[in-house]
Parts: sequence; structure tokens; C-alpha cells
Amino acid sequence: MRPYLAVIADSFHSALASRILWIAFLAIWLFLAALAPIGYHEDYTTTFRWFDLDNGTQLKAMLARGLVDPKEADTALGRIARTFPAEIKRQLRQVAEGDDVRIDKSALADSLNEAMDDESWYDPDAWRSTVRLRELRELDELPEDQISTSQRRRRARLRIEAALPGVFAAQAARSITLSYAGFDFPAVFSIGKDQFVALVNQIVVPVLMNWLLGFALIFLGILVTASIVPEMLQPGSLHLLLSKPISRTLLLLSKFLGGCAFVFLCVCQLVIGLWLIAGFRLDIWNARILWCIPVAVFLFAVFFSVSMFAGLRWRSAILSIGITCMFGAFVMVIGFIGGYFDTLVRGPDRVSQLAFSDDQVVISTQGGGLKRYDPATNRWRELLETEGHRRDLIVPPIQIADGAIASARIRNGRFNLYGSGSLDLLVLDVANDWEPKPSLRLPIGTRRLFKIDDRLVALNNTGLMATPIKAARDAIDFASDSEDSDSEDSDSEDKESQDSDSSVDASTDADRASAGEEQPAGDAASSSIGVTAWISDLLRMQGGPTEDFQPILPKQVTLTEPVRVTTVPGRSSLVIYTRGRLAHISFGQAAAGDGDLDSATVVRSSFADGGRVVADVMLPGDDSRQAVLAASDQVVLVAREDQPVRWIELSGLETVAEAEPPESQQVLSMTALGSTGQFAMLTIDGRCHVGWCDGDTLKYQTLPWSDVAAIDFQEQTGQLVIAHHIDQVDFVTVDSGNSGGTVATKVVRTIRPTLTSWRSVDRYLITPLRMLTPQTGELSDTVSALVSGKSSFVLGQADADQQEVIRLKIARPVLSCSVFLVVMLTLSCMYFSSRDF
Amino acid sequence: MPSPIVDVDQLRKTYRSLSLSGRRTVEAVRGVSLQARAGEVFGLLGPNGAGKTTLIKMLLGVVKPSGGSASLFGQPIGSVAARTRVGYLPESLRVDRHHTARSALRYYGRMSRMNGSQIRARSEELLRLVGLLGRDRESVRRFSKGMYQRLGLAQALMHDPDLLVLDEPTDGLDPVGRNEVRKVIEQLRDAGKTIFLNSHILQEVEMVCTRVAILAEGQIRAIGPIGELAHGEDPRVVVEIPIAKTVDDRDSAPGSPASEPSWSEVFGAEKSDTIHSKRLGAAFQLTIPAADQNEINWIVDQLRQANHSISRLQVHRETLEETFIRLVGDSKGLVS
Repeated sequence: MRPYLAVIADSFHSALASRILWIAFLAIWLFLAALAPIGYHEDYTTTFRWFDLDNGTQLKAMLARGLVDPKEADTALGRIARTFPAEIKRQLRQVAEGDDVRIDKSALADSLNEAMDDESWYDPDAWRSTVRLRELRELDELPEDQISTSQRRRRARLRIEAALPGVFAAQAARSITLSYAGFDFPAVFSIGKDQFVALVNQIVVPVLMNWLLGFALIFLGILVTASIVPEMLQPGSLHLLLSKPISRTLLLLSKFLGGCAFVFLCVCQLVIGLWLIAGFRLDIWNARILWCIPVAVFLFAVFFSVSMFAGLRWRSAILSIGITCMFGAFVMVIGFIGGYFDTLVRGPDRVSQLAFSDDQVVISTQGGGLKRYDPATNRWRELLETEGHRRDLIVPPIQIADGAIASARIRNGRFNLYGSGSLDLLVLDVANDWEPKPSLRLPIGTRRLFKIDDRLVALNNTGLMATPIKAARDAIDFASDSEDSDSEDSDSEDKESQDSDSSVDASTDADRASAGEEQPAGDAASSSIGVTAWISDLLRMQGGPTEDFQPILPKQVTLTEPVRVTTVPGRSSLVIYTRGRLAHISFGQAAAGDGDLDSATVVRSSFADGGRVVADVMLPGDDSRQAVLAASDQVVLVAREDQPVRWIELSGLETVAEAEPPESQQVLSMTALGSTGQFAMLTIDGRCHVGWCDGDTLKYQTLPWSDVAAIDFQEQTGQLVIAHHIDQVDFVTVDSGNSGGTVATKVVRTIRPTLTSWRSVDRYLITPLRMLTPQTGELSDTVSALVSGKSSFVLGQADADQQEVIRLKIARPVLSCSVFLVVMLTLSCMYFSSRDF
Repeated sequence: MPSPIVDVDQLRKTYRSLSLSGRRTVEAVRGVSLQARAGEVFGLLGPNGAGKTTLIKMLLGVVKPSGGSASLFGQPIGSVAARTRVGYLPESLRVDRHHTARSALRYYGRMSRMNGSQIRARSEELLRLVGLLGRDRESVRRFSKGMYQRLGLAQALMHDPDLLVLDEPTDGLDPVGRNEVRKVIEQLRDAGKTIFLNSHILQEVEMVCTRVAILAEGQIRAIGPIGELAHGEDPRVVVEIPIAKTVDDRDSAPGSPASEPSWSEVFGAEKSDTIHSKRLGAAFQLTIPAADQNEINWIVDQLRQANHSISRLQVHRETLEETFIRLVGDSKGLVS
């Protein structure tokens, strides 16, 4: 090996003698020096920002009610509402009078921030009835002389949040402020240290690596090293080298490695510098950042292999550079086209949720489409057209009766998570050939539907509201007629005004409002307050109950983000997770035989009143983390981000067992496999697992499906349904346990839909092209995964149902680049070995 | 007889290329056979384009032969075993600019599988030999052409090879530089190294080589010891016979003919066919082949018997250059 090591070492020396290398070094040192003064400090999250106001419509409505409703005069809401400047109060009064007034979120946030400076609005008695987080309770207990300024502001913020529940996005208690040379940046990151670390590892470092290493240094490296091979091929140099007792192939490979030495030297300095700055200045000691070194050198090697072959063939450094740049442009174009196909062709078709009715399969897709499988054509038939540009969201469809499925479409849902504006329930009935028909008006901001007995339950950010399923199905005809006469949007407006008109019994509406907010249902005192009809409108605007949907949560349960709800199969109960709190709520026998009664009366008298908290427990750990729930008739399974999966006994909510998630991957969704005592779990890496409890041990078995998009359990057939590879679906029986403690699966039905034209182009043209082309751009995914230690992550924490999973492509770019590299090096070596020089 | 170090048998090389004008074939070497033995300084002479460098490239394994066979030390050419025992100085050596003489020797020494201590010891010795000892830590960027060639010689000798292949070692050097390189080659020759010298500088070859092959148009035109090649043809006697301009002259200088005599009458018909005669001013110049001294005496006797005066007589032997021109002249359009 001595001769080849000599060639590599000589290339090192050659690189060190290069002026461009030293210019690159200088640029790197200047960059690191410029970056070095960056710092951060962590403080309590106090200042409100416009994007903290998650639901502007609800906030407007709440504040308007607090301002004008005499009943709120001395409540926390009323006190906060009165702190706003005169101009905003004037606008809020207009809101209260039913005017459509737009109030800038920034103005509202600024007013709230000003309110924090002077806490004269605070009255302990007024806040006693609010839901105070544990943090606020602890701060309230601190003596005034021991509380710091930032703690005081934090306490004020939490008091405001308590007065305006359901309005604000969940934020970490502490926020990061970046500084430079001791001066704070004007922007405060509303994220905690953990999220900051994740942001740095998953976004900042890969972006830096992509641009600095993947672009600038690679280009610089090619500029410098393109001459290595042409210079070696100079007669006076080459003939001497070839006369030495060495192999031509190894000589060329040594030159290749030597060329990589240049980039290695630069990358080492940059990456180690960034690592030290991240460690010393940001307290992020993540040795995984050093993975960027081999990945960057690998990336360079791909381009250098092209440059080397061109240099061998044409013996010109200029041509080598030109051809390498053209190759880079070609790869980039293929990457862009592939990315567009991912976003516009594959992504929108990806199954998001499943619903079944007999042998009918209905899916919602990530593109905001609702589709039914048509066996005759072997295609997914669009029930609601996918409108990618509008980024609509589909409320996950559920079966509400034999031959009937319910869902809803939130217009522009990606930017309207809480569905401001009207939202109609859509019922898909076999009698209407599964045509979605508008039905009842859903509470504002509904994002999930559940079926408990014969009730349809809607979840929004204020709570759970129910209506009889019969009422929902009966309402189809009326809504259809209405739709025939006007467009869908104007139809919604019509219904809205109709709702307002129908709120004749003002005292009843107000009473319902109280039940939904702070007063227990049926509080006789509330009905004595004379309020006008517009108060009920305000309540509806803020996601409160409607004429059809009435609140069912017991008084002591208030929903605070993050929220997750699951029904308990075979029981009239559900399990709620709300900001660290797990509650089992039962509705007793209220559902039996009340279908013929007046719907609102039924809900209030037999369903809402029947809701009682069977068990209630606070789970340890960070309560701001998203959770995933699943329940069987005996067990609740809770999986929270970065925390163990908990196997909890349903009746008393006592933890029986807990274990790391399968393969330490974040759990995205879970479903109980009937009453078998098993759960299916979909993890962020797109794998499906079956979990069960063996004594006090939680066990998993990974099923042989990959790229799983969604899972569900079909009660009627007792089959696990797995949607995978975009829109393929398998129906699987899971046989519980043999003596070895494993499960056996058997596919009993598959759906392999015929590809649409664009999907065919993707599969037969774009995908092969991407496989044949080294996907250098996707190596940033590899960097991201290596640096963060996660192969997937979730975008959009605001609502766990609508989060977008980013699965990083780790193996594909490495594989395609490796194959390309091997092919290019083989070609180069064959050419060099067989050619006369 | 010892086995040859270099043994070439009917070696051929044909270059083929494709261009817009069609397929092009160049026969660079056409069936060359030669041997060089241990201790010899073997010179390869030939005009530009004769195939000398191609032949050397084939011996070193840089270019693959199209036919024939060759071996170095009994090993097939191009094999690692053969190349291990060869030191090569290319025609125009190119050393990377980041090197000094010493670092270049270290680099090439390691390429020849030498270890560190061997390289250090050998470097000192060779730097002294080629006269670069004082400038061994200087960047080669400052080196003159002569210094480059000396460095090239040093690297070729680094692993103490049994065969040295020197391709135009004095090309581009001034007379002083040529002399320096020549001295080094002479030292190596005296040290018993086998040297394969490729050059078109006849004087240099004549001075240092023991055997020479003359190559033209890819073929060996002549091969043999330098003495044999230099005097390849029989000596010639050049005789000048004065011409009498007048009768008086003829009377005062008997034997001076007024017009060209019949040489067949003087030397006989057979011999006269080999005589080249021309008038040179006031004399006839005859060039007559003469194999030995007896024949020279016979020529003189014949002329005197025919009453011809002899104003000048010179015996001429062929030089290497004349031999070279004679052998390759046809290919280069030269007159022999």
C-alpha cells in the first residue's frame, strides 16, 4: 500500500499548496468568526405574538362577549376585555352587534402585551373559576417579594390565557432569545430549548450543510481538483508514474482519494467549527453534526467522479469543470421534477384516514380529497374533489350507521385549522350512491367526529358536542334542497343566517352557552339573565354549541391543547387527553331509545347530564407534548412524543406497563384490535406494529408492511386495515399469539388501484429516472436524519390530527449516489487501465 | 553468453483512431527485435517519429504492444516484477510544483516501494551524485531545465535499478548541462549499470553507447557495436589527379592528362564500375573502394603505371552520422 499512500499523501500536499485552498480556509475562518458571537438565553414565554392567537374568530367573539355581556362584567373574561384600547373595544362592540369586523391579530397581541405591564385587571376571585394550569397555580402561590419580573409577566400571560381558554396555541413555558455579541435579536423564538435543539438539528444544520457544503464547497472543490487528472496525464508525469511498479487502477483511485482530501480539509474545519460554536455558544453538544463530514465528502466524491472521468477522456480541466456543472444542473432538474411529483402527484393521493361501511372503503387523502373505492373500475372515485391549491382539510370520515359515513370539509383548512366560517356535516349514504350531502351545521372549528352509541360527537377546540345520528341523516334532504338553489358557500351563509334566525329562544341559547363555557349544564341561574340573540351568535362564533350540537362534557373537564379523544368500543364512553390530563368519561345508558325524542332535549337531558368522569389522572412528563390515544374495552394506550408508551387500565386509569415506543419511533396513530387485547400502532417511520401486554411488560411485533400511511380496525370483520404505498390498502387478520408470543397476519383482501395517468408517469418515468440519477439533493435528508438522530419528523404541531409527517429519505440518496459513484469509478478505472497514453 | 536484460522479438504497435476524415491507422513500431545485455549502454537512434519512444513505452508497460513479445529480466514487459527493476527518466520530466528535490525523491522512492530509511540514505547519495545537494530543499519551481533533468536522473536511480531507461536525457539542455548529464551516465556505465538510451544526438550516443540500434519508420535499420556501425562500409580511397591545361603543362608535369582518361583502361572494366569520378577544379577526383592496404597499393600502382600523377590521396572511413544519414535518409528524404 505504500505507493498508494504516497499518492494520497502527495495529493494532500498538493492541496495544501493550492492558493484556492487557503482562500477557502480564510473564507471558512471568517464565516466561523462571524458566527462565533451568536448566543442565546432562555426565559419565560411572556410576550404574545400574532401567531400565538390560534383562533382569531373565537378570540374576537369571546372578547366581544366579555365586553358587552353584563354577566361577564366581573369575570376574568370581562376584566381582560376591558383592558383593550378604545379603538379595539369599539371594533369588538361592532363584532358583538353582528358586524363583520376584521381586527388585526398583531393589534390584539400588542394590547394583550400592554395589559401584562399593569395587572390592575387581575382579581383572584374572578380567576378562581377559570381553569388554571399547574404552572399558573405554582406562580400564584409565590410570594410577591420572591417573584421576578419575568415570572410576573409569565404569570400575567398565564392569567390571560386562563381567561381566554382555547384561543392560544400551546407554547412551551420557556422561550429562546438569540443574541449576537451580547445584543439580543429583536425576534424571540416562541419555542423551548428542546424544540430549539430540534430546530437546529433538523432544519438549520441541514440547510447550512446543503448550501455551504452541498453547494459552495462542492463547487469550489471541483474548481480546484478538476486539474488533478489532466495534470497527471501530462506525458512527463504520467509515463513516470506508469513506469513505477504500481497498479493503474489503484493509482487512479489513490488520485481520486487524494482529490477528496481537499474537500475533506475544508469540510473538517467548517463542520468542527460549527460543532464547537453550537456547543460552546448554544449548549448544543451534538456530536452527530460531525456526520456532515463524511456525507459532504461523499457528496463531493459523486461530483468528482464525473470530473475525473471527463478529465481522463478529454484531458482538460476546463472541460471537466464544465461537464461536472452540467451534470450538477441535470441532477438538480431531476430532483426538482421529482420533488414536484412528490408534492403534486404522490402526496395528495396519500391516504390520510380510512372509513368503512360493509365492503365499502372511503378514504380521506392528504390532498384534501374524499374518495371511495370502486371495484368495477379498480380506481378511487372522487367524492370530494382534491383541490390542491386550496389545501382543504377533510375531517376524518367515520361510519355513523350501516351504509352511512360522515365527514366534513374545512375550506382552506391548511390555513384555517380551526375552521373559521361555516362548516357543514357531510353525510355519504348508500341510498345517495355515496354522494356527499350537506347535513347539519357543525360547531365552528370541528376537526374530529366520533360515534358514541347513536350520537354523532363533534370535537372542536372548545369541547365535545353531540347530536343524534338520526337528526344528522334526516337533515340531508333539507340541506340538499338548499344546495340545489345556490352554491355551496352561499348556502353556508344562508344556513348561518338561518341559525341566527332560529335562535329565538334567547334564554335557552344563553343557557346552552353557559353550559359550554363555564357553567354546568342546566344551571337554572343562568337562564334568568336576559341576554339578546347575538350573544348566542357570539358563542357559536367561538366554537360553542349550536342548535343541533349540544355540549356533553362534564363541567370539570375543559379542553386545553394538546387534546386527543378516543371512543371506547362497546361502551358509551370516551377517553380524553387534555394537556397532560387523562380522563375516562362515561355516558351511561343515556343513548338507549331516545332517538324519537326532540334532539336537543335528548342530548341535554340524557346524554350531557349522563357524562360523568369515571377516572381522571395526570400523566407525568411534559404536558405540552402531543399525544396519541387508543382504547379497547379494557385498556387505554397512550403514546406521547418522546415519552414511553403507557398501557393503562381503563376503569381506574392506572398504568399497568410502559415501554419505549416500537423501535423508539414516534407513534402517529393507534387502534385497538377489537377486544383481543392487542393494539396496532403506526410509527413515524411508516411501519406498523402490533403491541400487547404480557404481564407487566409491553411487547411489540413489527408487521411486514412499509410506507404505511394509515391504519384502522374494521369492527364488522375484525380486520386490521393497512393503507400503504400511497393508496394501496390491505385487509389483514391478526391472529393473537402462539406459544412464542408472536402474532400471525394473513392478508384477506387487497386494493391495488389502477394508476391515474400522472401516477403512471411518476412510476414508469420519473421514479426510474430518479433511481438512475444520483439524488445528491436528497443527501440533505440524510444529513438531517444523521444530525437529528430521527428518520422522520412531524410538521404542524398545532393539531395532531392534521400534522404532516416528513419521512426523510436516507437510504435512497445514499444508495443511488453509491451506485453512481461505483459505476463512474469503474468506468474511469477501465478506461485508464486499457488506454495507451 | 548471459541472457539479455532487454529482449525484444518482433514487437509491433499500431495506433488506430477515428476522426472526421475516417479511420486512421499508424504503424509506429513494425516488428522490432533487439537485445540489450547486462552492463551494456544500448543506444536507440532514430529520427523523430521513428518509434523510439513508443518502443520504450512498450518496454515500460505504458503502452500495450499490438504484436510480438518482449521481456525485461525474463519477465513480460508491463509486469510489476519487470518494472520494479527499471529506473526511467522520461523525455520531459514534470515534477509537481509543490515538491522540493528531496520531497520528490521521497515521493518517487515510496512509489518504488522503498522505506523511509532507505529513501533518506539514497537521497543523500543521489543528490550528491547529480549535484543538487545544496539545493535539495528548494522548490522545484526555481529549477532550471538542467536541474530538472538531474533530479529526473536521481529519481530514476532512487531504487538502484538494474536497468536504466533514459529517454532523451540531454534534450533541451545547453552544452554545459549536456556535459553534466553525460558525465553522470558515464559514471553509471562505469559502475556497470545497464542503460537503455534513447536519443537523436549522435555525438552523445557515440560517446557513451557500446551498442546501437538505428530505428526508422518503426523498423530497425541497423544494430551492432558502435564501431561496426560507424564504419559499416569499406574504406574508400580518394585520389586527386591534376589536369594539364596546356601541352607545356603536360610536358612540365608528365602524368597530367588534358582530358578525363578511360579508367577502365587503368583499373580494368570490373573495378572501374565501382569508381566515382568527378572533376574538381584543376584535378579529377576519384573515389575508389578499397578493402585493405593491398588494394590501396594496387590502386596507386595502377595509376602510376598509367603515368598519372597523384596530387592527393586520402583514405576515408564512414562516420556514425554518415551511416545514420545513409540508413534513414531515404525515409526522411535525405541524400546519402
